[in-house]
Amino acid sequence: MGDFIASSLHWFEIVRYPLGGAVCLLGALLCIVGTIGVLRFPDFYTRLHAASITDTSGAMLILIGMGLLAPGWLIVLKLFTIFIFILLTSPAASHAVANAAHTAGLQPLIGPVKKNQDEGNQA
Amino acid sequence: MSSSHHVILRVVSKTLIPVIALYAFYVQFHGDYGPGGGFQAGVILAVAVILYALVFGVPSAMRAVPPAFTRTLAAFGVLLYSGVGFWALIRGGNFLEYGALFNEAPGGHKGQHIGILLIELGVLCGVSGAMLTIFYSFAGRVAEIRDEDW
Amino acid sequence: MSEVLDGSVGLATVNILLLSLLFVVGIAIARLRSLFAIVMLSGLYSLLSAVWYVVVDAVDVAFTEAAVGAGMSTVVLLGAMLLTSRMAKPEKRLARLGPLVVVLVTGAMLIYATVDLPAFGDPNSPVNTGVGYEYLLVNWNDTGIANVVTSVLGSYRGFDTLGETTVVFVAGIAVAMLLGFGERSLAESIRKDDKTTKSSAKNTVKSEGKS
Repeated sequence: MGDFIASSLHWFEIVRYPLGGAVCLLGALLCIVGTIGVLRFPDFYTRLHAASITDTSGAMLILIGMGLLAPGWLIVLKLFTIFIFILLTSPAASHAVANAAHTAGLQPLIGPVKKNQDEGNQA
Repeated sequence: MSSSHHVILRVVSKTLIPVIALYAFYVQFHGDYGPGGGFQAGVILAVAVILYALVFGVPSAMRAVPPAFTRTLAAFGVLLYSGVGFWALIRGGNFLEYGALFNEAPGGHKGQHIGILLIELGVLCGVSGAMLTIFYSFAGRVAEIRDEDW
Repeated sequence: MSEVLDGSVGLATVNILLLSLLFVVGIAIARLRSLFAIVMLSGLYSLLSAVWYVVVDAVDVAFTEAAVGAGMSTVVLLGAMLLTSRMAKPEKRLARLGPLVVVLVTGAMLIYATVDLPAFGDPNSPVNTGVGYEYLLVNWNDTGIANVVTSVLGSYRGFDTLGETTVVFVAGIAVAMLLGFGERSLAESIRKDDKTTKSSAKNTVKSEGKS
């Protein structure tokens, strides 16, 4: 049993470098996808969704990849703290932009959306 | 500003504003060992209060951190920095000579450590006070912007 | 210059990409008329500069640039934009000819000067053989502080930092004196509070009188 753990740790030590690099590359690919989306989508809300993919998923995958490549436990802890921070704030930022646009009256391309629908039903 | 569709922003900023303030103090005290110091810490502390003002309204932030307090804080920061210099003068050394603060032997580090700690604290107070004063001057001239005005 | 390019083509590529992005953002700021977009792009410019400072190993400067440029400066510019207008006024066609000539001449002179600068990380440059190198040698014995940037800022060049702090303080007080201390918003909220407390006190007195 101890032998199995030792051999799996040894395997992890070898495999974490290419794995970390591959995850970082995947995160960079998501950032490129997000950028192409921002440039090509027709509507504000769809462009905002593409931008939030770069902010959230791209950044988090790059952080996970860097955590796999890290040389020590302290650096993994710091990267984890940054990961939690981005997990909390990046979706909130995209929500803030969409909220501001919707409150200002910007309608999506597929058709108008009624503002404050639940308040209208209650009144 | 207190309508229900700002709930997510309010919850997230209520979680994060104490963390941002704590991070400002971490940067302040970590300046001796890594990147950091008074200027960065002062700006991050001011940004924490500004985030509160953006999400909850400027009058609410002014009740928490009054403009008179920010002006006093900025002045106190500069006074603290020059005060360390005058303390060295009183002890017989040159202005801002940290070796003369505690009358120690020429190879001692205590004066350097305490002196730099105090002046970084002065820089923190001065920079955060000045940044908040500038923000209050700009944001305090506009009447409260309601959602319908956009 | 060729030594740097031989050892690290990747680093040179990153530098060239970042600086060309800065160039593109600068041109976009000059050409746009929507002030909101200009404010956001100037925040983006500060962030790109901060990334570039990290690439050239100036981490303290990058930290300050990111905090001040992307955080504080964007908020203050947005506040100023709310006080004025949302679009820049359209300009006559030849109004930018003079500034363009000035910018081109200054840029040419600066590029001509940078050819003479020592290579990045050159061990024989005046920075690495003169006073900078001496600070690195004597810093630990003199001050006992690990971060040389902080010890130079606070101890060896403490007068300069005192001047910087005073300049920031004076800037804050000058803005406050020009634009007002921000008490219009505070006074408005206090007046609103007084009105609501007075009306609720009147209502409770009335109801107690009736019952």
